[in-house]
Amino acid sequence: MASLKRSLDSDPFAANISSKVYVRSTKSGKVQKIVREVYLRQDIPCSSKLCRGCLKTAPKDAAGRTLPFVLSDKPAGTKQFPQGHYLVPDTNAFLNAMDLFEQSSAFYDVVVLQVVLEELRNRSLPLYNRLIALTKSEDKRCYVFFNEFRLETHVARDEGETVNDRNDRAVRKAAKWYGEHLAHASGAKKAAVPAVVMLSNDRDNLRKARQEGIPACSLSEYVKTLKDGERLLDMIPETQDQDITASKDSRRSGGENLYPEFFTMSKMMTGVKGGLLHQGIFNVSPYNYLEGSIRVPAFPKALLILGRENINRAVDGDLVVVQVLPKDQWKEPSTQVIEEEAITKNENPDAEGEDFVSEKERKALQEEVKRTQSKTTEGHAQPTARVVGVVKRNWRQYVGHIDQSSVSKSGSQGRKQDSVFVIPMDKKIPKIRLRTRQVTELIGKRILVTIDAWDRASRHPTGHFVRSLGELETKAAETEALLLEYDVQYRPFPKTVLDCLPKEGHDWKVPASTDDPGWRDREDLRGLLICSIDPIGCQDIDDALHSRPLPNGNTEVGVHIADVSHFVKPNNAMDTEASIRGTTVYLVDKRIDMLPMLLGTDLCSLKPYVERYAFSVLWELSPDADIVNVRFTKSVIKSREAFSYEQAQLRVDDASQQDDLTKSIRTLLALSRKLKQKRLDAGALSLSSPEVKVQMESETSDPIDVKTKELLDTMSLVEEFMLLANTSVAAKIYEAFPQTAILRRHAAPPKTNFDELSNQLRVKKGRELSVESSRALADSLDACVDPNNPFFNTLIRIMATRCMMSAEYFCSGTQAYPEFRHYGLASEIYTHFTSPIRRYADLVAHRQLAAAIEYEAVDPSVRSRGRLEAVCKSINVRHRNAQLAGRASIAYYVGQALRGKATEEDGFVMKIFSNGFVVLVPRFGIESLIRLRDLADPEPQATFDAETYTLTTTGSREVTVELFQKVRVKVTDQKDETTGKRGIKMELIKAI
Amino acid sequence: MASTQHVLLSPAELAYLHASLSLTPPIRPDGRTPTQFRPLVAETGILPGTNGSARICFADGTEAIVGVKAEVERTKLSRVGPADELEGTRLVGDVVEGLAGAGGTENITEKEEIATNGADWVELSVEIPGYRDDDAGTAFLSAMLAEALLADGEFARKLYINRRFHWKLYLDILLISPPLSYPLPLLSLTTHLALLSTRLPRLKSEGDEDPFFDDDWAAAPYLYPRRKGDSGKATSKPPVSLLVMAVGNSIIFDPSKEELAVADVALAVSIGEALSSSSTSLGKKATTEDAMNLDDGEGRSLRLLSVRTIDPPSRLTPPGVPNATNSAYGAATATQKQPEARTAELEAVEGVWKAPRGGAKPLVMAALVQKVLEKGGVADEVLDALDAVDLV
Repeated sequence: MASLKRSLDSDPFAANISSKVYVRSTKSGKVQKIVREVYLRQDIPCSSKLCRGCLKTAPKDAAGRTLPFVLSDKPAGTKQFPQGHYLVPDTNAFLNAMDLFEQSSAFYDVVVLQVVLEELRNRSLPLYNRLIALTKSEDKRCYVFFNEFRLETHVARDEGETVNDRNDRAVRKAAKWYGEHLAHASGAKKAAVPAVVMLSNDRDNLRKARQEGIPACSLSEYVKTLKDGERLLDMIPETQDQDITASKDSRRSGGENLYPEFFTMSKMMTGVKGGLLHQGIFNVSPYNYLEGSIRVPAFPKALLILGRENINRAVDGDLVVVQVLPKDQWKEPSTQVIEEEAITKNENPDAEGEDFVSEKERKALQEEVKRTQSKTTEGHAQPTARVVGVVKRNWRQYVGHIDQSSVSKSGSQGRKQDSVFVIPMDKKIPKIRLRTRQVTELIGKRILVTIDAWDRASRHPTGHFVRSLGELETKAAETEALLLEYDVQYRPFPKTVLDCLPKEGHDWKVPASTDDPGWRDREDLRGLLICSIDPIGCQDIDDALHSRPLPNGNTEVGVHIADVSHFVKPNNAMDTEASIRGTTVYLVDKRIDMLPMLLGTDLCSLKPYVERYAFSVLWELSPDADIVNVRFTKSVIKSREAFSYEQAQLRVDDASQQDDLTKSIRTLLALSRKLKQKRLDAGALSLSSPEVKVQMESETSDPIDVKTKELLDTMSLVEEFMLLANTSVAAKIYEAFPQTAILRRHAAPPKTNFDELSNQLRVKKGRELSVESSRALADSLDACVDPNNPFFNTLIRIMATRCMMSAEYFCSGTQAYPEFRHYGLASEIYTHFTSPIRRYADLVAHRQLAAAIEYEAVDPSVRSRGRLEAVCKSINVRHRNAQLAGRASIAYYVGQALRGKATEEDGFVMKIFSNGFVVLVPRFGIESLIRLRDLADPEPQATFDAETYTLTTTGSREVTVELFQKVRVKVTDQKDETTGKRGIKMELIKAI
Repeated sequence: MASTQHVLLSPAELAYLHASLSLTPPIRPDGRTPTQFRPLVAETGILPGTNGSARICFADGTEAIVGVKAEVERTKLSRVGPADELEGTRLVGDVVEGLAGAGGTENITEKEEIATNGADWVELSVEIPGYRDDDAGTAFLSAMLAEALLADGEFARKLYINRRFHWKLYLDILLISPPLSYPLPLLSLTTHLALLSTRLPRLKSEGDEDPFFDDDWAAAPYLYPRRKGDSGKATSKPPVSLLVMAVGNSIIFDPSKEELAVADVALAVSIGEALSSSSTSLGKKATTEDAMNLDDGEGRSLRLLSVRTIDPPSRLTPPGVPNATNSAYGAATATQKQPEARTAELEAVEGVWKAPRGGAKPLVMAALVQKVLEKGGVADEVLDALDAVDLV
């Protein structure tokens, strides 16, 4: 038998074709061999303005244009490369020091290799997005070079070579090629050709590059040669320094480990699938940094995670896997306030881990044990768990400030690196150890830091400095801090977005001729007496109303919403930007728009006296406010007047006003009362949260006073009709798109959420809270009245609100119809339709409604369930962040308004611990903790009765504090000297 | 199917062929020696998307392609009913507690597991152009190939991942030309080569964890491990099935269609390499075998895996009529009326074709098998030749 072999080399195209072979494991457990063919080409340009050759061969688009070349012909030089240089960073460089590349003082002419970009995407999506944004910015001169597709720079994986090694080799090859290519192609003298410098923090890669004669630098070497190198040096994370000087540290890593090791990924996944381990998002208790909880699908109630060792390096928001602990380790949730700042105040950031659980932490734990043991009722103990692994870190950039007490006095002069602690603004985030050379400059500043790593041998995570936002307590720094902390996109709109605006700008008008395509299928409602009612100074007027009597005795009511979808077409840059922003964020002194100003405050805004496009909902309502029929139409309207709530109220109350407009508002008001009554009868909840308004001085916009918000009838008028519009639209789009309608639901809270509150009410006030339905809850909340304490009812409402789930947007196909219910509004179906200028969900609802009434074709983006789900998920987060940012902004300004003043106010006890209690002051809408040690010096002894929620102090001061009690407190602002942080401080004057 | 193909030879031609093949040494129509195979072209790795693949093309134009795909599959536990689930949880529990790999637990042993499930771990599909896939002949071919593969029980063992998972192999065997001769040897050889070139992703997880694999294809080990160092040849081999036939006293390998048409007996003999006795324990198998085989470079020890008789098409050929009974030559016309009945009774006449009757005689069978297994014989030669194919 003879066998012949066919040589593969006989293929004439072999040189241009390569393939990439790898094994892919899918989530469902499939393991596949994947072969990707790679077609290599030689016309991918180097994009250097020096190069003539590439210009000729660069591929052209349909119009015969080539993309403009990016890299400068006169790149900046450094000491080391006086002739100028291009940078070729490897993946590690971006992973470790993306912040460096975003600097405006250096890092220009960067060649981002495809291999690096892809690797970065696999390692960290946020960093990848930042890099993409960087390559798009015009002034940074970043060029993405597709090295994998260029014949000369393609690298096939060698046998036995790890992916990392191959990628490093690809980077070196590309850097080398660039160098040779430029020298050859530019034709300039050798000295004038810019150097192509590979940046890497991988020692091995650097060594190999030098062997191959490629100019290469580590990040710190490179940064040192730059002008403001000292400052930039801080942005190189510490772990990397260790990497390079690994030999020195090897002893330490071999030393004692403070935390248990994480399980391997496959072990965790096996456990999770088998139901023995549980996966969920880790949450830290806002009152006790050593206590966390995790909600897992397997159990109705959250699992407790207590103590540093069990938390095992998890940070708030991480996706972790936990293991339930044996029953003898089950505990009650802590009744103590444990603040990291207070307990670990005197830690030294340089000395690491000599004592894992510090003395004070131990003490706090002992008291915990004492308390648990003193109780015989074992039923109270809750299941606890420990973290065995982190599936996905949710680390972001954190705003914080340097803990002054952690700064060593001697080291602050020289240029040597100091270790300091940064206390993040978010109390749930642990202190971050930071090494910096500029401690003196940074003290007293708001700074932005990131966490780099948290290894087993280190008690605190280590991070690096990103940038300084400015002095603590300056308005600019604090506002930016807020926006960063809540991940609000506050950069100005990019040019691509502004390009989507109508060309006429502010001169845009509704076309005069009704034959214009803009008028197609639009109803002419310019003749109706439409007006808008909004808060004072409102510029983005989303909605306007009208009513008119019909001959049959019924009333026609119209709600007209700004037709934003006319201006924002699906899938253009503006739409994408709006979907990312999700919502407009209102701060006390600032508004961060979802849509560019031109649209938000002019073209879309339903300003008075001008014609505007609108989307109208028109009902025929019977005198009892029952809907006879409803229709939806695109329209053109002309608002007669823009009222503020107060103006409208005055006008309605003034009997002398008898014009048609006022009459129609009165009609609306009467109808709205009936609508509200119906809603309440159906079980709608009237919930409460402490809302205040900060009054600003008009010139300097410094806060001068704080007022609680007033409620006017006209507010409820607008609210009722908006609810009605939303409900009607929800029903319509659900009918048209049963699978993909964008709706809003408010899930009924699990009964267990109310356990605590209802127990407190029973014990303290002898009242029962029935929570079977929203109706029952509404009734029992109404019954919670204390004749001596008019605020008591509001207090209970505030507390009940906190037990609720938060409402969320969802796509109708993801839930069963009964789950659509809006618990708070007692509505079967609900959506957001009435504020498209400031909420993206409304914009989507507009598009769906337009398609439902066959005004326009269904756009794929509002029909694809997957995309809508992603949109819902993202806007839910944005919405929540916007709320939090708004509240935090108010809290900050309240603090500023109180600065230097001391006032006495009434407050109420909301929460009680064994070593302190939380007081809410309704006048300012703030709550604050009063600790035992704040009551008197020395700290009084106290006995805490958890059954009756009573704290009795003895010794240096004798008071008894109970839950719900009214107290008189002195409110001052106070700057904590050790932390440099200003906060509200309350002192108990007397218990009433 | 193929074996019972219609043969377009006249009884006289059949008789002539039979006579020439019965000579010592036999004279084959294409001039081959009795043990000589038809020349063939072979290559591996022709289907990049598969775990292993091969193509073999005979000089007569018949061509076959085999692709091997592997998938991870959950092993069915031998117990049925509620205990099943319990068992699963217990195993997972072991993993979490770190007990996995601490040695077989009392109730399930690997052997038991493989023995009960092994047959499901390989799925073979044979496709012959012009035949339905449920055609009896096709089914028989696929059963024969599968039987050979699973006969030694070692094959399933190679697919074992851990107590909870195993690889499932899908072998797609395609004949891409019309079957000119009985395709068994071609398909078997191609399958053999494809399996030799098959690689499975490298396992990274340990014990009974959900399996987790290396994403580097270059690191994927061969299903049949290679000897390190010299030429990288496999240390053990997948089985091959050879087609052997006997005509008179001659034993002829790799018969062509015409030769098969006059076969007295045709056998499909599957052979594998005998296992060294020490390599039975699964865990250490790969390493011990490496060591074992390093020094036996010379002779391989073959062993018989299975033997199947093939019904040769010769049985359906029309008989020749001797001159004595042929009316054209003046024989009595009366006999013409029942030619069938009469030929059966007739004694064999020299030079007149008569379809073989009856089964294979044990002695002949023994001789055939003997010939196959002979040291330095055909099987050895075939395996050597296949060895020479570069594995991609």
